[in-house]
Amino acid sequence: MNSVIQVRNLTKRYKDALALDGVSFDIEQDAIYGLLGRNGAGKTTAMSILTAQNLPTSGEVRVFGENPYENARVLSRMCFVRESQKYPDDATPRHAFAAARLFFPRWDQGLADELIDDFQLPLKRTIKKLSRGQLSAVGVIIGLASRAEVTFFDEPYLGLDAVARQIFYDRLLADYAEVPRTILLSSHLIDEVSNLIERVLLIDDGRIIMDESADDARALATNVVGDAAAVERVVNGREVIHREGLGRVASVTFLGRLDGAERAAVVADGLELAPVSLQQLIVRLTQHRSAGRPGADGFGSNNSGPDSSGTKSPSTDTSDADTQEGSLR
Amino acid sequence: MTTLDSGAALQHQVPRNRMLNVVRLQFVNTQTFIWVPALVLGGSWVLSMMIFWIIGGAGVTEVKAGGGSQAPLWYFLAIGIQAMTMTFPFSQAMSLTRREFFLGSLAAASVSGLGMSLVFVLLGLFEQATGGYGINGYFAYLDWVWAAGPFAAGLTYLTATLFFFTIGFWFATIFKRFGALGLTTALLALGLALIGFIALVTFQEAWPAVVKWFTDTGALGLTLWAIPVTGLLAAGSYFTLRRMPA
Amino acid sequence: MDEGKPLFVQIAEQVEASILDGSIDEESQAPSTNELAVFHRINPATAAKGVNMLVDKGVLYKRRGIGMFVAPGARGLLLKERRSDFAERYVQPLLAEARRIGLGPEDVADLVRTGAGAEPAKP
Repeated sequence: MNSVIQVRNLTKRYKDALALDGVSFDIEQDAIYGLLGRNGAGKTTAMSILTAQNLPTSGEVRVFGENPYENARVLSRMCFVRESQKYPDDATPRHAFAAARLFFPRWDQGLADELIDDFQLPLKRTIKKLSRGQLSAVGVIIGLASRAEVTFFDEPYLGLDAVARQIFYDRLLADYAEVPRTILLSSHLIDEVSNLIERVLLIDDGRIIMDESADDARALATNVVGDAAAVERVVNGREVIHREGLGRVASVTFLGRLDGAERAAVVADGLELAPVSLQQLIVRLTQHRSAGRPGADGFGSNNSGPDSSGTKSPSTDTSDADTQEGSLR
Repeated sequence: MTTLDSGAALQHQVPRNRMLNVVRLQFVNTQTFIWVPALVLGGSWVLSMMIFWIIGGAGVTEVKAGGGSQAPLWYFLAIGIQAMTMTFPFSQAMSLTRREFFLGSLAAASVSGLGMSLVFVLLGLFEQATGGYGINGYFAYLDWVWAAGPFAAGLTYLTATLFFFTIGFWFATIFKRFGALGLTTALLALGLALIGFIALVTFQEAWPAVVKWFTDTGALGLTLWAIPVTGLLAAGSYFTLRRMPA
Repeated sequence: MDEGKPLFVQIAEQVEASILDGSIDEESQAPSTNELAVFHRINPATAAKGVNMLVDKGVLYKRRGIGMFVAPGARGLLLKERRSDFAERYVQPLLAEARRIGLGPEDVADLVRTGAGAEPAKP
């Protein structure tokens, strides 16, 4: 595989908070990545630095083997669709697309026209006067029709209803199948995108805590439900990331899978096994901030966990970074 | 694995004309770059004419030259501010470098400034030929600006537009990068520098010399001075922009 | 699609089901990776993993420059596999549930015979 993006020890410090804390990862060519994590985890900061819209405090970034900062050769092959992109005051969607056509060498006008039709976007109204969903549609259309070799979508769906989001996902997949390229999609709607993505990068408190293929991530954890005592026997010695109970019934999520024999034994015990969806897994792994980090402590203390990037240090609570991403935009 | 090798230089060319396309991007804001300046120009011309006519009606026959013609030049401050604040974030979304955006915006301002100075020169020539519309009223033809001829006058007008544009652009950049506090600090520093200059001249009792220098240098001389100053301002705003997050 | 099985296994099973029920004949072209991806709304790499699984099994084979085809004998292969999986997939859970509600293996066998009799015989 060929990495188009390499990040080493990337740190971004804002005045009062650490947005990225020594992050390292690679992005392989022609794959769809899910960049997942909570608000303020550092997703937007990472994408901004990769597209040279923001500058790192320290660390190194290479895109197509070069530093992207002030580098037209590299930048012209990338497209970054922000969640709250600003447009010139008098601009209409028509102007925005005409500009995109000027600057993105692989722009596909036919695709843009189809998407405009799909989203029923009014072309002649100034962008200021568009609804939130229509504003998002402008960004989505630029991102898809630019066909840039590396495309970043930062929560591109705000204000789009379920139907419009499905149009986006379908078009993304169909066009990606036709013209393979590297796509980084950040999203909170993990269930909606989990089948689209090939790899998962999970970022939490400015650190990468998971860098896995989506298939592996989906198989990372198991949930067992049933009589509390029996459940505890099953999970004994395993890495538990979530535990809840109701009377004598317990539901426990742990990392790892059971082999055939273990499975049969568990079923024979009258317990129920359930797969853990990507969304559930990610909620469990990142919910520490509101729940006193019961999961993260157990998770971070184990070196054989899904932390294949090797960048995560045992959890130390940094100051709450929830707000700074928004306030600095 | 803490450092990264520079990969082999890829055979990818920078697409051409990206900077010139920034001019087109800026002119999407037709209101900023065309209609409002045209309105300011037309409006200040009409107002000046009315004032000349009223004064003429009161029996004043000597040369009347209003300050109204400065308005469209000052307006380039606003253009500078808007070229920065409105278009910079979008230029980043179009994957432009800050350098491409800066040079393209300056080129767009030059186009607009050239148009404005052309109108001034044509109006001035007309005023010169008709003796100030027959009522001795002058909007564009100001004696001291035109002392070195129409070309020099045109250059003075063009330099003025770019001078104001660059100041507006730089202040907007400072505001966006360092916030209101940063801008206020910059303005205060500028004010202090001016006061320092005034104090210096006053204590040295050098005002007559300063006034004489301005009169001797003339409009063309001042313009030739203003060109490097504008260049410095441009460099300042570029270096402020260079490390600014979108 | 959301059972305990990995997505690519589910994709492979869907293709297998189409071969078993005869909607894709042996020696005819199987859906491409991209077609599967777009139809099931999944990443093409995941679909490719499912297709490769079938290639490794000998159910599909690749004709260079044309695409994936169903191997001769694929249907027989799949039937054999399904039959050997039958006990684990269906009989064991059936017996587990029977035990839970107090039915012995003989009771289950009786029920199976009755059920089979009630159902119209398949050709």
